[in-house]
Amino acid sequence: MEPLYLTCRSLTYAQRVSRALAAAGVQNTIIRTPQNMSREGCGYAVRIQGRALSRAMSVLAAAKLPPRRVYRPAAGGYEEVTV
Amino acid sequence: MIYLDAAATTFQKPAAVKKAMAAAPELYTSPGRGGHRLAMAASEKLFECRERAARLFHVEDPERVAVTFNATHGLNIAIRSLVGPGDRVVISGYEHNSVLRPLHALGADIQVADGPVFEPEETARAFDRLIDRNTRAVMIDHVSNVFGYILPVEAVAALCRERGVPLIVDASQSAGAVPVDAGALGADFIAMPGHKGLYGPQGTGLLIASERAKPLLYGGSGSDSKNPDMPDYLPDRLEAGTHNMPGIAGLSAGLEFVARTGVEAIGAYERGLIRRMAGGLEAVPGVRVFAARDPENQAGVMSFEAPGLPAEEMAERLDRAGFAVRAGLHCAPLAHKTVGTIKRGTVRASVSAFNTKSEIDAFLNAVEAAVRGR
Repeated sequence: MEPLYLTCRSLTYAQRVSRALAAAGVQNTIIRTPQNMSREGCGYAVRIQGRALSRAMSVLAAAKLPPRRVYRPAAGGYEEVTV
Repeated sequence: MIYLDAAATTFQKPAAVKKAMAAAPELYTSPGRGGHRLAMAASEKLFECRERAARLFHVEDPERVAVTFNATHGLNIAIRSLVGPGDRVVISGYEHNSVLRPLHALGADIQVADGPVFEPEETARAFDRLIDRNTRAVMIDHVSNVFGYILPVEAVAALCRERGVPLIVDASQSAGAVPVDAGALGADFIAMPGHKGLYGPQGTGLLIASERAKPLLYGGSGSDSKNPDMPDYLPDRLEAGTHNMPGIAGLSAGLEFVARTGVEAIGAYERGLIRRMAGGLEAVPGVRVFAARDPENQAGVMSFEAPGLPAEEMAERLDRAGFAVRAGLHCAPLAHKTVGTIKRGTVRASVSAFNTKSEIDAFLNAVEAAVRGR
């Protein structure tokens, strides 16, 4: 299944997101946000497996750590996913 | 050399601190600036440091923990965030120049909540009299760097919460030795050095900041780089430029040492050493000791003087005998003015978790010899 990318406002925020997901058993990796995914410039995102999206969003809502946006790979780059 | 100048910087560091600092150049590059493993390892170490600080100081959100160069840096951020020219501020009579000078440079209207040393109820009453709706901010030194006096920070914080006035706490002497509960205090800012009671290296500090924080330095943060302004979120808003990773690695190890040993245990141990020192010095003819009647009102810092022997001369004699203390005004002329020692200064001895009773006993003998001119 394709990965999904949860963009975050800062590295520290991404680290909090990553910790919360890991504690709930959602595997994830912090990555640099690709420029064609980011409106704001440099930043960090948390990559998860697509099948974990629902669980991830539930965990992050409970932890009050919503991502800025969610993206998935698309032809020529990435497209935003509405969640 | 027996080191009794921990209030300036702790000299003896835990082995883990030295090890972490030595290893850092081989392990970390710049956090928040890249995605490769060396940058991400640095990012993890930085986050570890923030999380450890957040746990130690009861901060729910590690994003509120900003890394600074020292306490002065943090206090400048705090003061510049809250105070403008002509603004009325209320400060204690024990503030360090790291508070007084930024306020003076801003042209603030400084009101001093004066009170005798080691009398926390009187100090709290002085704040109560001065804090009103015209007060722009309140600043309180948690522990006097000259006298070790533990000021009534909880009572003053309660006054500030009740009257809706922002509070800045200078935790330079308390962090690591006296409990600091950021959540309970509700202060907008708590500034502290990394190199004193947190046992990190020099060039490190922490600022627990609220959303009122404004940038002091502007530059790259590794985030929101298309935005010409600093990011509007913490900690990036306050952390322009490359981080001091060897320092942060050492500070993180120091935080772990303090957490493992226990702030209460360290504080009790240091107070015990100071009581021993005070009791011994009071028995030396010609020595005046500034010691609290209630030991709970004094941390691991103590001033004394020997009338007829200038403080600097006493410190020099002690240095020759192998003891490191500090003499003079200790960058805190206001504290000396409050206590009445502004003209002559004092000799300050301050301890850390690494000092021992036998060192204190040796020090007492050395002071007695110094007073006798030997």
